[in-house]
Amino acid sequence: MTKSFIFSLLFAMAGMTLFAGGYQVRLQGNKSTGMGLTGTALNLGSSSIFYNPGALSLMKDKMDFSVGASGIISRITFEKSGSDYQAETENPMSTPLYVYGAGKISEKWTVGLGVYTPFGSSAKWADDWAGKLLIQNIALKAIFVQPTVAYKINDKLGIGAGFVYAHGTVTLEKGLNYGPDAGVKLEGTSSNMGFNVGVFYTPCEKIAVGVNYRSKVLAEVKGGDATFTVPQIVQLKGIVTENKFDATLPMAGNLDVGVSYQASEKLLVSLEVNWVMWSSYDTLNFVFEEKGDLLNSSNPRLYKDSFIPRVGFEYILNDMVTLRAGGYYDPSPTDESYFTPETVSLNTLAFTLGLSINPTEKLSIDLSYLQLAGLKAEKTYLPDSFGGTYKSAAYIPGIGVSYHF
Amino acid sequence: MKLKISIIALALTGMWACQPELNEFTPSKGNADFTTYMSAGNSLTAGYSDGALYKSGQENSYAAILAKQLETVGRTGEFRIPFIESEDGVGTRGGALVTKMKMGFSTDCKGVQSPSPVLANPNATQQELAVLIGTPVGANGPYNNVGVPGAKVGHLLAPGYGSLNPYYGRFASAPGNAVVNEFATVQPTFFSLWIGNNDVLGYATSGGIGDVITPVSGDPGFGFAASYEAIVQYFEFTATAGVVANIPDITSVPFFTTVPYNPIVLTDQAQVDALNAGYAAYNGAMQLFGSELRINWTLGQNPMVIADASIQVPAGYEALKMRQITAEELVLLSIPQDSIKCGGWGTQKPVPDQFILTSPEKTEVANAVTAYNQVIEQVAIAHDLAFVDVNAYMKQASSTGIKLDGVMFTNTFVTGNLFSTDGVHLTPQGNAAVANFFIDAINAKYSASIPKVAVSQYNAVLLP
Repeated sequence: MTKSFIFSLLFAMAGMTLFAGGYQVRLQGNKSTGMGLTGTALNLGSSSIFYNPGALSLMKDKMDFSVGASGIISRITFEKSGSDYQAETENPMSTPLYVYGAGKISEKWTVGLGVYTPFGSSAKWADDWAGKLLIQNIALKAIFVQPTVAYKINDKLGIGAGFVYAHGTVTLEKGLNYGPDAGVKLEGTSSNMGFNVGVFYTPCEKIAVGVNYRSKVLAEVKGGDATFTVPQIVQLKGIVTENKFDATLPMAGNLDVGVSYQASEKLLVSLEVNWVMWSSYDTLNFVFEEKGDLLNSSNPRLYKDSFIPRVGFEYILNDMVTLRAGGYYDPSPTDESYFTPETVSLNTLAFTLGLSINPTEKLSIDLSYLQLAGLKAEKTYLPDSFGGTYKSAAYIPGIGVSYHF
Repeated sequence: MKLKISIIALALTGMWACQPELNEFTPSKGNADFTTYMSAGNSLTAGYSDGALYKSGQENSYAAILAKQLETVGRTGEFRIPFIESEDGVGTRGGALVTKMKMGFSTDCKGVQSPSPVLANPNATQQELAVLIGTPVGANGPYNNVGVPGAKVGHLLAPGYGSLNPYYGRFASAPGNAVVNEFATVQPTFFSLWIGNNDVLGYATSGGIGDVITPVSGDPGFGFAASYEAIVQYFEFTATAGVVANIPDITSVPFFTTVPYNPIVLTDQAQVDALNAGYAAYNGAMQLFGSELRINWTLGQNPMVIADASIQVPAGYEALKMRQITAEELVLLSIPQDSIKCGGWGTQKPVPDQFILTSPEKTEVANAVTAYNQVIEQVAIAHDLAFVDVNAYMKQASSTGIKLDGVMFTNTFVTGNLFSTDGVHLTPQGNAAVANFFIDAINAKYSASIPKVAVSQYNAVLLP
């Protein structure tokens, strides 16, 4: 795995299509994906850099590398309240990915580096759709780089911590009510920091318990580019076509608690709850450098915390093949009356499948499939009196490779 | 490479990814029969906008939008509209024919250029506009939309009205017809009627001097109540269901609310003193006559001086029939702005009465609107019809604004999205909002489910 290969992967990263609560994307390890996206109480090798750095200290091998990606194919349908008007998104496929490497540097200490994409959202509505004054097109991407250290306290207990550097990009386009072509495009990047800490404990041979906290990380855009396409008259009022803006989007903190149980030599069961602290996403403010008095806006989002229960199973068929399955329920963190089509986050039911093939003892090819259904619900964004019924679906195949020795 | 190929392979798998299906809305006609819809009214129903009747304006009238939505609940056949085959259209202004207006830039008497409505084609000749409005299209009828710009309630009942109003004359199916006689040619099962605005608007838009307010009582063809009742009865020869709408207060309409009463800004004390000196004789004479009227000037904004024929002065002092306008009184959008800026109107010369709606005139208009709206609501109840409280919607728009699909509707001139560049008639977006108000009323009355439109799919005033 060369450096240039990693960078070409990063380059290939497209916007994450929203597929779960808020704009979090938990597809950060294909083994975990196959098991209902559980991972806190699993000893996943280097993928634990994301799921629980505490587990890293109890990694089975000396060195462990994994790389993988998923392809999110998402579909959203909207029907306007009191109308037969319907719209569908034309979302491009997005590909969250991860690269992890970890190695034991001593009996007690393990170090690792992870690059992954835990947040993102993209929704592309037609430029002239009914909600064009709210959103036409949005793409959020965040890539996290996390150097991590883990310490094995004893054979049963490990702790780990990682420092997170997050680079985000956001592109947002919406129409303005000055005719068919009028609108604004916002583009910006952010660089912020956070951390990821975890504890992993195996009280007995068959049971493992994990607790992981990933801090809130802001996507703080300063001096992003705002491009206004407006009639000349509006420009004369001082709405310059090239402006700068500031905005901050919180990427929610997570507290994950999991337990796994080795039911038999072949069957592993993993249960987990994620507390996603979305209540930090209260308001989305835009502050403009020029003509702020006219342009600045404060947009309520009023997200609330959500709790996601998950279950996953792993069954070792033989030396070559491991099967996985799982599921979860992801309740929407959005507020009924402040639901915008920029983030169509519905109560979601999901099932997952996974398959690992081990051509050699050191190499594992991990396939996963996640399908989820955003349960239909009628929602409104009150500040714009825009409401309707939304329904979503996503189909997410993934592939990863891990190598350990 | 392997990974990249895999990703490409995965992209192809999009084929099995199904689009979620929604089917939340089931159109239903409820207990009304929408097979044949006919709309009657005035310019608002015709789709008059930007000071003229033009094709896309007609296509976007609330009646045309409603007709389209009614297709989902059993309306059949073409909804025939007597189109003016021109995008510049034809309107009337001060006795002359003009094209529609659009937003542009005009240069005032001081050489200052500013955004303002301008004629779409100032070079259109009277002759070509006369041809446009005079070309008979009655033979292509009958028409489902018989909205007639300028029509008052009584006019719809007047035989031969087409000879007085070319907007009707052009599409009348027979020269001697009244508009109501067109109903029998279409035989509607469902109708809409939105009329009454011109019964006060003619009076109001001429500052109370160019027209009279239609009295509430009087025979059909003259009095508002009997005429309104008669029109509904004409519809009910065939129609078994319908919707009627009341009329807005003029204080909800930008034509009356845009120009401030106190646009005279004095920044120079010498100017103030000179004006006060100039009116010293007026103030002295008024004191002598026992009148409390005084004209005073101060630094800052000052109310305009207006002509007021109702002021009592001894013979020979008629030139003193003027006063400063009060904050409650309305200045019409038709006032020539250059005359204020450079012609001394409002300071050295009183503003002529035709550009002002004085308090007594405003009260007369308000009383008439209230009385008409009582009639309209009573007719709706008596005939068991759907009723649209347009008055309440417009009041809401002009106080808090009404937001729909991200569009804020207010009564602000041009930028309020509701009213077009003439300050009286609706934009396509405004028509879409009104169509939704009609749909709400019809759905409620007839337990129907007519789908509403997304107002964001229509244009507001387009700006250069």
